Order: sequence, then C-alpha cells, then structure tokens
Amino acid sequence: MQCDWPLLGPLQWMRYVNKQVKVKAGKDEERRGWLLTVDPVSASLVLVDFKEDGGASVQVVMGHAVEEVEVLQEADEETTQRLQSSFLPAKTRRLDP
Amino acid sequence: GSWRNSMAPPSERPGERRGAEMKKLYGEDAAKIQAMEAAMQLNFDRHCDLKQPKYWPVIPLKL
Amino acid sequence: SIATSASSETNAEQLPIEQHARSVLRETFLRCLLSMTNKKVQFLMHERVKVEATFGASDIDVLNFQVSDLHTPIGVQKEALIRCQDVISFTCDS
Repeated sequence: MQCDWPLLGPLQWMRYVNKQVKVKAGKDEERRGWLLTVDPVSASLVLVDFKEDGGASVQVVMGHAVEEVEVLQEADEETTQRLQSSFLPAKTRRLDP
Repeated sequence: GSWRNSMAPPSERPGERRGAEMKKLYGEDAAKIQAMEAAMQLNFDRHCDLKQPKYWPVIPLKL
Repeated sequence: SIATSASSETNAEQLPIEQHARSVLRETFLRCLLSMTNKKVQFLMHERVKVEATFGASDIDVLNFQVSDLHTPIGVQKEALIRCQDVISFTCDS
C-alpha cells in the first residue's frame, strides 16, 4: 500500500500526538507506543513506552520507512503530562495559553 | 566528508533565502527554531571534524 | 523534503496555526534527539540488519547520524556515520 504519511503536514500529524499508535514500518515490522512528536522535516515519529521501573524507552521510526499509522487510544491526562514532560528541561517548561 | 555536500548552501544569497524559508515554515517561531538548528548542526559538524567517522555500511543498504 | 502540500491548501487564518504546530513538533523532535546524546541506541536497518552504538549527533536534515562504538556483525567500528535512509527505526532506553 502506498502511504502518504510524509505528505500529511503539521496539522494532520498533530492529530496523532498524545495517542497510542500502532506503526507499520519496514517489512512486516510493527510497533506500538505513545506518539510524542513527528519531525516536520523527515516525518519521523517518536514513540515512547513507559516501563514499570519509571523509565521510558524511546523509539524513532524514520518517516521514509512508515507504511501505516493507526490510532489505538487517546492518552489520559496523567499519561499526556508524563509524555510531554519527558524531554523538556524543567526551566523551559511552560504552559501555553 | 560527503555529509558536507548536502549542507552546502545554494550559491545565491544563502542566508537570506534560508531565513525567508524558515519564516514561511515556522512563522513567529522561526528565529527560535533556526537557533536550535544552528546549534545542533554545529555540534554535528564538530563531532565529525573531531572523530572523522566513516560511513557504515560502506555501500548504502537502500538507494 | 518538508511537506508543502498541506500548506498550499490552508488559508490565511490557518497559516499561523500550522506554523505553530510545525514549530512545536520540530522543537520536541530536536530536544528528543539531543536527549539521546551519549546513550546506547539499537538501530533496526533495512535488510534486517540490527546494530548497537552510542549515539552522538544528528544533522538537522536528518540525513546522517554520527555514532561511536558501533557493533557491526564483523566487529566494532570506533567512529561511524549511519545514513538515515538505511534506518527503519532506532530505540533508546532511558
């Protein structure tokens, strides 16, 4: 199937942010995680998986390899917070109006 | 190294053109993103100058 | 390589919203790459090649990753550049 993921653009990619997604990329490779962001330059996805010990594993799927992205569920408030604060240094963290 | 080729600026008025493109893409945030990118690219170039990494694999897996 | 198809369809009111979205997405991505500096990452590449390395830096066009201690199937390469086109995905535990 021809996928137009890299052509979707920022407004469409935003719809996937903070959702748990299933991504097909490469030959029969499939992965799941919470979508943190999509690089608007390379269309690469950043997926985060929270582990029981409090750590997180981060997976970057290159935009050129993406075949299919499917939303599984929305994050609750706690997960969203946890997700969005993962990579922000505390001092630059701010709440946009 | 060949990674530099892709970063070679276009011959006419590179700075101006890039600034205008960034403004179109990122609007009010263009300066912030451009500054972040400049720092990151500098960091990458410095690492490459210092460590002289060679491509692996030598031949691309996918063209 | 930046998608421009969407912007041509957006009207003047939507443009600042799209620009802001692009900027938030890009900034988060760059921060995420920076957070991987000096961390162990596993690359899954085309042709089912899997390698491990210490992440160094990425260029801003996401064409090359600079890595150290790359464990290739035939030994360790101390310093290496990986072409992003060869990569399907990479993982980093933190």
